[in-house]
Amino acid sequence: MSISYKDVGENLRRIVISGRLDIPGTEGVAAQLVELTAAPKKGVVVDLSTVKFLASIGIRALITSAKAVQKRGGKMVLVVNDSSTVMMSLEATGVDQLIPVFKNDSDAERAAVA
Amino acid sequence: METELSVSPGFDELMIGANGAEVRRASEWLDTICRQRDVPKAPVERLVLCLNEVLANVIAHGGGTALSSPIRLLLEIRLDPDGSKAGVTVSDAGTAFNPLSVAKKILPKTLAEASPGGLGLVMIHRCADWLDYHHEDGHNHLTFGTRWKLP
Repeated sequence: MSISYKDVGENLRRIVISGRLDIPGTEGVAAQLVELTAAPKKGVVVDLSTVKFLASIGIRALITSAKAVQKRGGKMVLVVNDSSTVMMSLEATGVDQLIPVFKNDSDAERAAVA
Repeated sequence: METELSVSPGFDELMIGANGAEVRRASEWLDTICRQRDVPKAPVERLVLCLNEVLANVIAHGGGTALSSPIRLLLEIRLDPDGSKAGVTVSDAGTAFNPLSVAKKILPKTLAEASPGGLGLVMIHRCADWLDYHHEDGHNHLTFGTRWKLP
């Protein structure tokens, strides 16, 4: 499990998570995700395209961060591989209707700062 | 801790502890056996998701007895040209809890309305084709399963 980030200009932060967002995986990155999404950036892209599995504990971490970003006037979006089990988890819980989901980086980055 | 033990033809059993690392081990076990038995990818993924959520509930809400007792997993796979199915029964010694008795969560329409918790049961209900629960001999026995047609 790993989490990393890159700031793209002044307004956008891109966070990349890889591995499995199950119980141990989420416990390993949740605190860092909160910290990274707390930065005063207008837009935050969380790239989950190499995440292999997303359990509800991982979704909880994503919702918590997305709400925090929204509360300070920003927007968090996700990049997800369309055919992955991650998409299945987001759709099963309706979270794909709450946090915008994109297939590629450029669309996601545009939406996050729009 | 004991790992794998076949109990009868068509069934496989795994005993695990109640912690996150064991949930991951159980997921790998379920995934491996299903693929060895030619269960298609989609139903396997749904079973693994359900297993994670059921075990997460046991760990989070089962209490001290659940955390200190082994959890038994029983997998049954039946391949049939007219309709195949796979079911997993999770037996734990935690607080009696019937997830089928819980009113289904109304999903929020906006992020502002969303609460981070309670999605595990939503996922179980959405991903399982059937669910069954009974409490016997001091244990919860929850079965979830998927069905599919062979090509």
